[in-house]
Amino acid sequence: MDNSEATSYVSQFIGQPLRIHTSDGRVFGGQMKCTDKGRNIILALTYEYRAPSAEVIRKAVEESGNPSAAVNWNSRYVGLVVIPGAHVKKIEFEESQLLGQRSGVVV
Amino acid sequence: MADPSLLHHDAAARDTDAPIASNGTGPAFASAESSSFAQTSLPLRQAPRRGAPPQIHDVTEKFTRACQALDVGQLIKDEYFTLFESIGAIEIMDAKMDSGFLQPGETLEDDFDLLAPLLPEELIGIMDQLLSYEMAWHTGYPLSQTLFTSVYIDRLLYPEPKTIPQAQFYRGDIPDDKRPGTLLDVLRAYCLALIKGCDYVIAKIMARDYFEEEDFATHTYNRVLFVQVPIDVFLRELDASVEMIEDSDLKIDDELRSAIIARLHFRKSFLCALDPECPLELLSNFWPPVLPHVDKVNDTQHLGRTVPGSFSTKIQRRLASTVPPRPIVEVEFKDALQTLKQLCADCEEATRFKDLPTDPLEYQSFLWTFASRQPAPLTYSRSYLSNILFDPYILNAPVSLPLEDVKSFVFHESPILDPANWALSPPRNPLMPKPPRLQFALLIDEFVERVGQPYLDLWVALGQNRCRLRRMLTHVIIAWDMLQQDAVFVDADLVVHALQLNIAEEVMDSPLLTWVYIKKLWMIEKVIILGFEQDIYLPDEHAGMYYFLSLTAGKRKDALQRCAEHLSERCIQFVQKSRYQDTNDTDKKLAFIDSELQQATGISAFAKALHGFYVIANYLHLLPCPGRPFSTEELRYELRMKPFLTLQPPEVPPFEEFQTALQPYGAYSDPKPSINDDLKQEHSLPWTNIDASLKAAKDAFADVKKRGAKGAKAKGVEQAWNKETQGMLASCVALGVAVAGLKSAVKNTELGRGPQLKVELPTVDKRYVGGWVVPKIVKE
Repeated sequence: MDNSEATSYVSQFIGQPLRIHTSDGRVFGGQMKCTDKGRNIILALTYEYRAPSAEVIRKAVEESGNPSAAVNWNSRYVGLVVIPGAHVKKIEFEESQLLGQRSGVVV
Repeated sequence: MADPSLLHHDAAARDTDAPIASNGTGPAFASAESSSFAQTSLPLRQAPRRGAPPQIHDVTEKFTRACQALDVGQLIKDEYFTLFESIGAIEIMDAKMDSGFLQPGETLEDDFDLLAPLLPEELIGIMDQLLSYEMAWHTGYPLSQTLFTSVYIDRLLYPEPKTIPQAQFYRGDIPDDKRPGTLLDVLRAYCLALIKGCDYVIAKIMARDYFEEEDFATHTYNRVLFVQVPIDVFLRELDASVEMIEDSDLKIDDELRSAIIARLHFRKSFLCALDPECPLELLSNFWPPVLPHVDKVNDTQHLGRTVPGSFSTKIQRRLASTVPPRPIVEVEFKDALQTLKQLCADCEEATRFKDLPTDPLEYQSFLWTFASRQPAPLTYSRSYLSNILFDPYILNAPVSLPLEDVKSFVFHESPILDPANWALSPPRNPLMPKPPRLQFALLIDEFVERVGQPYLDLWVALGQNRCRLRRMLTHVIIAWDMLQQDAVFVDADLVVHALQLNIAEEVMDSPLLTWVYIKKLWMIEKVIILGFEQDIYLPDEHAGMYYFLSLTAGKRKDALQRCAEHLSERCIQFVQKSRYQDTNDTDKKLAFIDSELQQATGISAFAKALHGFYVIANYLHLLPCPGRPFSTEELRYELRMKPFLTLQPPEVPPFEEFQTALQPYGAYSDPKPSINDDLKQEHSLPWTNIDASLKAAKDAFADVKKRGAKGAKAKGVEQAWNKETQGMLASCVALGVAVAGLKSAVKNTELGRGPQLKVELPTVDKRYVGGWVVPKIVKE
């Protein structure tokens, strides 16, 4: 991939909702504002999502007696964040299907 | 989401309505509105259409490859996203910034068992620690670093309970054997009342002007502090807790028992006092009962025992938080109680406001004195006072407050304010001129309305803390300056109509202009005095600033003099017309003007004396003077005078004039030789000027003192007023001593070698009056 191709590919995600999985297992969902060669990503209006701990899951299963009991992820608003490239494990693009409009992003 | 075409249609329909609506009165407007709806298709809101769930694409691999192909330093970014904004971003996985980052082995939450039974000592410990944090919050720390670090409070508020019975240290059903015991129930009641108290505090502070995070942090991190629940629910919980503790079946030590009860009583009385719904006339009943409980809490504080783990920074992770994690604030219980006592005392003092006579000048004295209280009142106390001041009962008094203020200075028993003027009707033919008396009424009404905003601005400024008061006043002065320009026109119109009625001699020359000018000059004086109080000016600038103060107060004195002269004339007119009652009333008003006049005379003369003293001290190099290689005196002068440079008429003297006043013998570093002889002679001009000013100041302040607080319209704050007036007299005496000391020291030494003495400037707490820096001469 040459530079201009790369630039136009990455540029189409600006302002689009991304979900970024970090090395410690958290997921950050927000609008992409900025990125660079080091894959450092700045997200705006971000929410942090954290998987429930094993302890909580164990309790939920015990209490309901159902081995597939639903346990919610914890989420909170964290606003504007920068995720260092070294900690980015997975990047997901969240394409909205609202009113049948396509986002026009080529994935 | 509404269909865009429908939205547009609706907007267009409203547009065509607009002309009809603006012509019609109320009912016509309503009918126009309804008929337009009948004509057009109904703009119903559409239920939001649910789209398909978003589709997730994993772009990791391609994204990474694309990033690698970017150049070093190349940023792919939103056009409007700036470097400045990016600085505010929180760095994920950085322990110092990211509150969600876990150290290896660290768990997200502490495993603190909220239902574990408490000892009575531990209950007391937790209650006292909560009180400490509450006070830390009052002094400006956010809730996230104080009360919200309590695991008990956190559990009561989150997950958000729908009802108060749901607000427990657990959620849902639990087996009976795990239900919280009596002491935990008591803690719950205490916490609930505490949380409601915070809600009340926030409500009161947000109702008035305050500065978020500078004064106070109202942020509740999306936790709802039982906003909708009325106070009696909390009082009931507290009462029930008192009963539970008093129950003789509960086996606890009597000392501990009474300590817990004292805390519950305190919480109850405090919550009642914080209640914002409390009617104005009952306010003063609620603060006095709080203090005895505080003392009891203080006496039994040693009984408490802290519970490790009952407060935790980890809770910050769950607060919707966009700031890095911060440590819990450490507060000494002793300091917290001091803050609490101060809060109670200030609020109690504030409740006295409602008993003041309905006179804006009394209000102004009260606001000024309240802001001068030491230690400075907390944000809550200041909002508390502002809320009383801006209560409709006070603000919508039957008389117009600004007009009352005007009346105190000009317009005594004036035909311009004759109530009959307001009873006249305009002529039926609009082309006929309105009768002059009606014109008076209209002009005054117009002016009063124009005054409204600048007048309120002044009061809002007086409700701030001292530092901000000084800065805000400089802005308020600008608004009053514009008001002054407008007053000129109203005055001109008043004269025209007074001439028509042939009563020109009964109307003062430019009455409204004079009033606005007096108020404006008063504010300028306060700005300078506050500058001294807050040590804004360096010692070598004292001479210049006191010079400016003396000039300003002198102008106010002249304006007041004109008011006094007019009043005396009116008195004579009344006597001639045998209106003895009016003569008496005018005499009373004259008493206030005279008091103000003496006050302004005193300030002007004393500032002049200080100016003279500091000039000599500058020549003798007795004051520290920092090197300033990058500025000139002229630029520094401009900077100091900046807030006042635009005022009309010009208040700031030209630099040359200022320079002549400050350096009568030429530059400090190279004075004219004649200074030597002048300073050595006791009866030379520099010394006699100081002595004369000092004497004039002393006489004026003595006169003000004799007239008393009532004469100065400061009856409501008589004690503080007396103290300040006494302080001014004492300052005069102290300056006299300093002048004598300097005089004798200079006499015995050669100027070039410098006299063996030192000038000491007292710090603000050691001065008789904060804004008056009277130096002390110390021989070495």
